[in-house]
Amino acid sequence: MFFKSLDLTTALRPLLLPDETLLFVQDAVGLYEGKYKIPNYQNGHAYLTSHRVCYVATEDPRKYCVGIDLKEIDRAEYQVGSSRSGARFLTSSPKVTIYPKPQNSKTDKSRSTTSSPAISQQSTLHPLPHTGPSKSPSPKPINATWICPICTFSNPVPSNFDPATATATTNLPPCLACGIKPPFTTVLKAAITAAASRDPPLPGASSLAPEENTPTGKERRGSNTAGSVSCPRCTFVNHPSLIECEICGAPLMPKGAASLLDSGGNRADSPAPFFQQARLVNTEVSESIKLSFRDGGEKTFHERLKDALVQRKWLLQNAPPVPPPAQVTSSPGAPAAILESPQPAAPRVSAVGIAGLEQRGLEARMNNQLVIGNAFEDLEALMASAKQIVALAETLARESGMATNEGSAETKAVLSESVAALGMVTTKDMLSSGSETLYLSELSRNLAEYLTDDRQGILQREGGIMSLIDLWAVFNRSRNGVELVSPSEFQRAAQLWEKLKLPVRLRRFKSGLLVVQRYDWSDDKTVRQLQEWMEELRRIPPEEPVPWDWLIFGRAVTAQETAQRFKWSVGVATEELEMAEDRGVLCREEGIEGLRFWGNYIVIPSD
Amino acid sequence: MTTTTTSFPFPPTYNFPPFFTPQPNTNTRLSQLEKWSSLIQAWCRHHRQYRLSLVDAIDSPLFHNTALRKRLDLAAARDVLDWMAKSEEEGGGGRRAEWLDANAGGNAAPKSVAYIWWRRPEEWADVVADWVENTGQRGSVLTVYELVQGEATVSQDFHGMDNDVMMKTLNILVKRGKIQIFGNEGEEGVKFF
Repeated sequence: MFFKSLDLTTALRPLLLPDETLLFVQDAVGLYEGKYKIPNYQNGHAYLTSHRVCYVATEDPRKYCVGIDLKEIDRAEYQVGSSRSGARFLTSSPKVTIYPKPQNSKTDKSRSTTSSPAISQQSTLHPLPHTGPSKSPSPKPINATWICPICTFSNPVPSNFDPATATATTNLPPCLACGIKPPFTTVLKAAITAAASRDPPLPGASSLAPEENTPTGKERRGSNTAGSVSCPRCTFVNHPSLIECEICGAPLMPKGAASLLDSGGNRADSPAPFFQQARLVNTEVSESIKLSFRDGGEKTFHERLKDALVQRKWLLQNAPPVPPPAQVTSSPGAPAAILESPQPAAPRVSAVGIAGLEQRGLEARMNNQLVIGNAFEDLEALMASAKQIVALAETLARESGMATNEGSAETKAVLSESVAALGMVTTKDMLSSGSETLYLSELSRNLAEYLTDDRQGILQREGGIMSLIDLWAVFNRSRNGVELVSPSEFQRAAQLWEKLKLPVRLRRFKSGLLVVQRYDWSDDKTVRQLQEWMEELRRIPPEEPVPWDWLIFGRAVTAQETAQRFKWSVGVATEELEMAEDRGVLCREEGIEGLRFWGNYIVIPSD
Repeated sequence: MTTTTTSFPFPPTYNFPPFFTPQPNTNTRLSQLEKWSSLIQAWCRHHRQYRLSLVDAIDSPLFHNTALRKRLDLAAARDVLDWMAKSEEEGGGGRRAEWLDANAGGNAAPKSVAYIWWRRPEEWADVVADWVENTGQRGSVLTVYELVQGEATVSQDFHGMDNDVMMKTLNILVKRGKIQIFGNEGEEGVKFF
């Protein structure tokens, strides 16, 4: 299990992978390796996603953020916090301990990358000093093989086989190839050999090991340069993309992992506590890590983590689509389908003309019906086929949008596309119920991401500024009617932007209108833009003859024109114009055509 | 009223449409009032006008720009004159105007006619005194009519001056001890010292 580096979004949250969904967030979390606190990782947010457990520190989040893939996690345990009244220093926060999956191929890997068995032993060292180079057999699973005396097939030694405690009565699995139970001594010898290749060679075991260990190490070095991977067991040179030896089935070590382990080997020289370096990225966890929840939330975290480990969403990435209408035949509820739809196995009847089109349409409808029907059968199924349902909903929305209102087709498209961002949406459900402030700060980050997301470019399209009410509407619509945000919470979340140092800011105009802007956007910039525009108007001759001297005065602009030019909303344009007027850059003209703004010629002494 | 509008050179601001809209920005508003004040003074000087009746002037080219189809309405024009009437210490335009009927409860609507002091009475007093000095008329006696309409003053700015304005001017000179006024109302004589 490795600490992986983490990409953060503009709002300093982990950047989710495609199909990854956020499950839970908790603040005030610290990280432990084994039983030691990891410096610099003691106060941050823990993000649980469907694929990863991520930690982002509150201070200097870009530097101190790590993630762990769920697929490398074996199990997670929940440890209740203890607190004694009056003895604050004896309290301990509740913790969730995460154990890595045993790395079966590790002994082979380390053996093959390091020529000396002594160093290879170090790389798998237990982090705690007292457990150091123990002579006693490691309780950890040993990746050893025994060779069947009958058929010479290489069988793995069972992971629960412990040479120290095993006796002749221990139940041994039979050979995988011929089914004959091995003699106990064969397995014991193999186990000791494997242990010896990890520990310093024992006198008894060394006689068995040498022809296996030393040459492979050297050969391995040579073969690495060639790009192909030689098997650590039988020395067969395999194609680099293989993960198991073609000949003997021994696990192979990819080159990338080899270099990682090399660095791991160097690192192991440092004494405990384990993590001395400032950053955790690419550090290996061999024992366990703990997340200490100083502010609660550990129960929910643990539950969701367990669920996520069961669901294994990361496997879904290449999941097959929902079965074709063939299954309809097995469904008793749709007898018509049996008659209408052709067997998919049978060669497809190539229908032409209108009949063909109709048939294709019918098939598509049947498929849709099936998808919808399956999805709503139970909640689990809905979760599983959520991706397809969303896609279907999008197409339906697009079709209906085209039919009813052409003008808003673009908006609809934007809205349905923003469903894609649904995975990033924070809901109250993701957080423990009590923490209102955490919800708000997460919502705040969420909003900032939504605004700065380049795929959608909400803020860009609105000319870098939009009113809070518009944002609220768009944001809630993008949530497709679930987990809507109330206006007051929305406003409070927006007010947190400044505190959280997010790249957007809330601004109040004189009239009280609240707008959302990029952080670096200022009035000066707006004024400069307006002034440039006014200059431009003085250079361009007006379309119709005007009674005034346009070379001096230019032309008046309305809020509508301004909104159009800068892609602002009219309300925002009015406010910006009045802001410029307030600064004496513009002046107003009230007339029958309405309110118009001019460059402020009045303040220029002319006479 | 003699109208020689064609020859009056309007300042460029006169053709700037926002000039006719009261500006909400304080600084802009101040500049606007100053420009209006100097425009009204220039207009009155050009037309030898000493008092301005708003009701009459509101449709004149002064307040009504026909080319732009823009005008200063009565209330806005009154605001301008109000500002002009205030002293600079009060944040006004330096007493360049004075309402004839500021407190009048008479038949005319209040604040409809104002003196426009393109020269204030004190300034006029200086002009008259200088003229007397330069023409060596100290010790002589002139009627007010002679002063305003006489042939001797044709070249002077105060020729054809409003009678009331002349009386204000002469009163200031009396206070300064430069002249003495005698005679009945309407036939006053002035003796210069």
